[in-house]
Amino acid sequence: MKGRLNKGVSSPSKFAAALAPFLLVAILALLPLLEPGSETIRLLFVTFVWVTVSVAWNLLGGFGGQVSFGFAVFYGLGAYAAALSLNRGISPILSFLLAGSVAVLASLLVGLPTFRLKGPYFAIATIGASEAVRVVMTNVSITGGASGYRIMETGTFHQLQHFYTALALAVIAMAISILVQRSKFGLALIAIREDEEAASDLGVNPFRAKLLAHALAAALTGAAGGVYARYAAFIHPQGVFAFSVGVAILLMPIIGGVGTVWGPVIGAVVYGLVHEELIASFPQLHLLLYGSLLILIIFFEPGGVIGLLEKSFRVFAYTRRLSGSHPQR
Amino acid sequence: MAPILSVDRVTKYFAGLAALKEVSFELRQGGIYGLIGPNGAGKTTLLSIVAGALRPTAGSVIFQDRRLSGAKSFRAVRAGIVRTHQIPRPFRALSVLANISVGSRFGLHAQRSASGTRDERRILEWVGLAHVAYIPAATLSVGDQKRLELARALAARPKLLLCDEVCSGLTESETLSVLRLLREIQQAGTTILYVEHNLKAIMSVCDHVIVMNYGRKLAEGSPEAMQNDPAVIEAYIGRTAGT
Repeated sequence: MKGRLNKGVSSPSKFAAALAPFLLVAILALLPLLEPGSETIRLLFVTFVWVTVSVAWNLLGGFGGQVSFGFAVFYGLGAYAAALSLNRGISPILSFLLAGSVAVLASLLVGLPTFRLKGPYFAIATIGASEAVRVVMTNVSITGGASGYRIMETGTFHQLQHFYTALALAVIAMAISILVQRSKFGLALIAIREDEEAASDLGVNPFRAKLLAHALAAALTGAAGGVYARYAAFIHPQGVFAFSVGVAILLMPIIGGVGTVWGPVIGAVVYGLVHEELIASFPQLHLLLYGSLLILIIFFEPGGVIGLLEKSFRVFAYTRRLSGSHPQR
Repeated sequence: MAPILSVDRVTKYFAGLAALKEVSFELRQGGIYGLIGPNGAGKTTLLSIVAGALRPTAGSVIFQDRRLSGAKSFRAVRAGIVRTHQIPRPFRALSVLANISVGSRFGLHAQRSASGTRDERRILEWVGLAHVAYIPAATLSVGDQKRLELARALAARPKLLLCDEVCSGLTESETLSVLRLLREIQQAGTTILYVEHNLKAIMSVCDHVIVMNYGRKLAEGSPEAMQNDPAVIEAYIGRTAGT
């Protein structure tokens, strides 16, 4: 039997489980044919963007254990880079690539000094970096400073382009996440999360692995910011660089389950849907509700939704074995 | 024959406090060397410097004719020096096998292949952890965590293995089995520097013993000579009345 590295899922339904994601993506891709209405499409688009950034954050924060509050930097810089590029008539794909590249550059600038710090000190440093970038962007005149920046595309295109680019980006993020989890690189990240010194004592270069994970996460987050900017057609620093964006990006994987492949996806879907409802119903209270949710999760189920599911599944399997309907091995 | 490791006048200060003062010694290829001394003698500090985790304040560590700069232990691993920790530090969420994979995939001659190779299984069998290969390392007993610590280091294929108190906290029979493992590791060609509190363990397995006290090298020689050395006896037991 070949050993699975990081998590063992050895059920007879393994094949079905491997097939399920492809099926899900196919259904989502074909969904617009059913003409579900622009509101549903919009909600799905936003959810795909959230899935991308949530999965991206998890690469560094979930696998590598480096909790960053500063992902709004990459999201916002990606949004602005794509906006500037689109307004110069550069194709959307190239603009999104540019958005990702600018974010990667920023990730190195942020990562080189901050990865010398550990644990909470790193987290605090990322807050500082994020706020600094927001303040600078509020005062940069070529992008309109605090009053924001408008995107005007000259060509015509179908509105569904937004939907499909966001879906494609989310699929790319998922694929990267699965590959990382199974790779040698993923093993290094998890070892660093568990005990950085011990990992180094076995030949892992922690600084390099963290920088790489940060860059990879930034590329995806920046591209997601670009995709969002093109859709919104108007961005401003208090929106894309807001501290609450950085918190949201970290909240989603925590809700779903950090350090897993599917947790961040579930978290993003929950957040994407609940977020809308909460803002609509409690415009003043929604941030307070998130805060309370975060505290509840950390206290009672640090594994998030995935952790809760695994636990209930174990309890279910156990009671079934006790009742004797399943032969013991 | 040139020494595999030479430590030359290594000194280490922690905030003005000397932990090591001009310690020098040489290790030859293929031996098991014991490093003993009372609490606070500087044994673990010395081990950490050789392992590259600490930078010496002065002095040098030369391994196979290459000077090690220190302060980056993964560089030492890639040169062929791997350590174990006195208190085991397993990657708790990872399975026992995956813990070993970290060593084999990032150590010397790092492997590209996925986890679960023949080498990894052989090491698991060897240290007696094959039956727990797939369970999370967090659930292991202390004895098994000590074994995992050793197994993981071996998976990184060290030329020089630094063992920090691999026997502390183990039962008598567990100690014997770990000591037997060390002998086997040596016979497979690895040089071992073994820090230990347990004098009996050191004396039974080492060819040569280095004794430290108050950050200095007190004496070195065969285990028998050290047991009868007056300075060593004094350091361990205290001055005899009347002398």
